[in-house]
Amino acid sequence: MNKGLTIVIKQTFRSHFKTRGYWLLVLSPIIFAVVIGGIIFGVTQMQGNTTPTVAVIGNSQVRQVFIRDEKTLDIKVSKITDSQKANRSLAAQDLDGILTLQDDNATLTTQPKSNTINKEAFVSVLGNISRSQKATNYGLTAAQTQDLIQPFNLKSVVKQPDNKSTNGENSDMANYGIAVAIGIITTMIVMWYASMIATEIANEKSSRIMETLLAATSASIQYFGKMIGIFALAVTHLLIYIIAGAIGYVILQNNPMLDGIKQTFSGVTIGFSIYAVAFILISVALYLILTAMIASLINDNAQVQQAIQPITFLAMIGYMFSFIMTNMPNNLAIKILSYVPFISQSMMPVRLVTKVETWPAAILSLIISFVAMIVLAWFGKNIYAKNVLSYSDDKIMSQLIKNIKNRN
Amino acid sequence: MIQLTNLNKQFGDKVAVKNMNMALEPGKVMGLIGQNGAGKTTTFRMILNFIAPTSGDITWNGHPITQTDKQKIGFLPEERGLYQKLTIEEQILYFSELHGMTRSDTKIALADWLKRLDVVGKATDKVQSLSKGNAQKVQMIAALIFNPEFIILDEPFSGLDPVNTSIMMNEIVRLRDNGAMIIFSSHDMNNVTKISDNLTMLKQGEIVLQGGVQEIREQFGRTKVYVEGPFSKAELANIAGVTQINQQGAGFDITISDEATGHQIFDFVTRNGYIPAFSQQPPTLDDIFRQEVALS
Repeated sequence: MNKGLTIVIKQTFRSHFKTRGYWLLVLSPIIFAVVIGGIIFGVTQMQGNTTPTVAVIGNSQVRQVFIRDEKTLDIKVSKITDSQKANRSLAAQDLDGILTLQDDNATLTTQPKSNTINKEAFVSVLGNISRSQKATNYGLTAAQTQDLIQPFNLKSVVKQPDNKSTNGENSDMANYGIAVAIGIITTMIVMWYASMIATEIANEKSSRIMETLLAATSASIQYFGKMIGIFALAVTHLLIYIIAGAIGYVILQNNPMLDGIKQTFSGVTIGFSIYAVAFILISVALYLILTAMIASLINDNAQVQQAIQPITFLAMIGYMFSFIMTNMPNNLAIKILSYVPFISQSMMPVRLVTKVETWPAAILSLIISFVAMIVLAWFGKNIYAKNVLSYSDDKIMSQLIKNIKNRN
Repeated sequence: MIQLTNLNKQFGDKVAVKNMNMALEPGKVMGLIGQNGAGKTTTFRMILNFIAPTSGDITWNGHPITQTDKQKIGFLPEERGLYQKLTIEEQILYFSELHGMTRSDTKIALADWLKRLDVVGKATDKVQSLSKGNAQKVQMIAALIFNPEFIILDEPFSGLDPVNTSIMMNEIVRLRDNGAMIIFSSHDMNNVTKISDNLTMLKQGEIVLQGGVQEIREQFGRTKVYVEGPFSKAELANIAGVTQINQQGAGFDITISDEATGHQIFDFVTRNGYIPAFSQQPPTLDDIFRQEVALS
C-alpha cells in the first residue's frame, strides 16, 4: 500500500480512537443494554417467584395430569386437596387460584393479587382430558382416542412465481427482528460515522489545514485515507460489539431468555450472517464515500449538519421500507428497491432469510452495491480533489449539481 | 532548480497570472511582492499542483514536479491552520511523516526546533492552549522540520511581533545557507530587502520587476538624499533638480530628479566644512513598490 495512504489511514484512525467521544459512542449502547438488563433483573428479583400456585380440587386423576404438566402450564400445583382449606389459603393470599372440577365443568377462583394464570392452557388440557374420557366411554381404542384429539395441522407455504414452494424457517417475529436489526445497525453506523467524516473534512478545510496536507500528499490519498480510517473505526466498533456479544453469550449460556432468542433465530445460518454483515459493511462504505464527497463542498463546521441531513434521510428510507417489506414482500417497488444501492442493504438480506429471494438474486444485489461503491469512490475522488481547496458561497446541493454537470 | 516558464492562469475571464517566467536556485531566496490579488498565492498554488496552470510549465531540475518531489517541499500557507485538539508533538509527527521523516528523527528534531524558535510550552501541550505567535511558530516548524529542499512561505511574517519576525528571518537565512531554494511573499518591503537575494514584483498577474534586490534598486538611480546640518528647507529647495523635501528627524529626506543633483547638494551643504550626515541612495523597495505598483 502507498506509504502516504497508510500514514493518513493511521492518523485518522488514531486521532479518533484515542478520543473520549469515540469510546462514549462505542460504550454507551453497551452501558445502556447493561443498565436496562440490570433494571429488568432487579424488578424480576423484587417480584420474587411469579409462578402461580393453584389447588386442584374434585378430581384426583385430573390433579395428577396437572402435576405432570406443571412446567407446560407454568403453575405449581398445591398440596391442598380440601376445598375449605383451599379457600382459607386463597383468602390469606397463599394461593393464586383454586381449580374446582365437577363433571364437565370447572371453576377457576382467583384473588385480586394472584399471579397471572394461563387460562387457555388450562382449557386445552381440560378439553383433552374430557375428550379422552368421552372417547373411552364410547369404546374407542387408545390409538383412536389419540388420533381424535390430535390438533389439525395447518402448514404455511409461500408459492413463488417459478413454481418453487418455499417457507422460511424463522417465525414472522424473527424475520421482523432481522429486518429491524439490519435497518437499525446500518442507520446508526451511517449517522455516527457520516457525521465523523464530515466533521473531519470540514475541520481540515475550514481551518486551512488541508493546504498543509495537500502540499505533502495528493487529494486522492487524503480522500481514501480518511475514508478507510473512518471505515476501520466503524469495523472496530462492530468488532467490539461482536466480542462483547460473545462474552455475553458465554456468561448467559444457560439463560432461558437466550435459549428463546436462539430458538427464534434458528433459521439464521452462518452463510446468511456473513452475507448480512458484508452487505452492511459495503453500505456503510457507500454512505461514507457519499459523505466525504459532499463534505468537500462544506466551507465551515456550521454546515456539517446541513450536509449530512440528506444522507441520514437516505439511510432512513431503507429502514422505513424494511418495515413495509415484511408485510408485502412481492410488491414490485419493494422488489426493485432490493437491488438499489443505499437501500438494498435493508431489504435484500431479509428477503433472502425469508426465502422470498434466492441466493443468486441476493448475490447480484450485493454485487450491484459493490460496483456502485467503486464507481462512486472514483467519481467522489474527482469531486473531492476539485472542491477541497475551493470556497464557494453557493448552497451545498447547487455546488454538487454544478460539479456533476462540469465533470472536467 | 525550479523553473517557471510562460506560466498563465485564468479563472473564467479573469487573468490571475500572465506569462510568468522565474528561476529559483539552491541557496537563494526569492521575494515575491505585489498587492493583494496580484497573483502571488495563485503562483504558489500552481507550483504545489493545487490548481493546474492554464498554460506554461513548472519544472524541478527539468522535469515536472512529482509526488515524490512534493515530499521535499516545505509550505507555509497564508492562512495558518493546525489541529487544535492535537498536541504539538502529535501534529508535527503527522506532518513530518507525510514528508517522509521517521517519527524517532522528528522527536529529536522537534526538541531542537522548539528551543531555537523559543516556543513557550512543551511538546505535549495542545495547540489550542498556545498563543497566536507560538501557534505560528509551530506551523513554521511543521513546514520546515524535515529540511525541505524547496520552501514556499506565503506571508511568513504576518501577525508576528518584531522579535519573532527576527527569529523567523534567522531560520530562513539558516535554511538558505544549508542550500534550500526559498520563495516567499510579503508586504513588508523591509523584510524582503533584508533576506531576499532576488525579487519578483507582480502587478495584476504580470511581472513588472525582476532581478537582484540591489540591482533593481540601482536601476532607479541614486535619487534619494538624506542630509543633516545647519541649513534650512528653503535653501535646499532652491537647488535645481530637487523635486521633494521632507523633514525627517534632525535632517531632510530629499528626492532628486537625477543622480548629478546629489553632487550639487553635497557641495552646498559642505560649503562650510563638516556636516553630521550625507547619504545618497537608490530608492527603497517601498518607494519602488509604491511607484511601480501601488500608485500607477
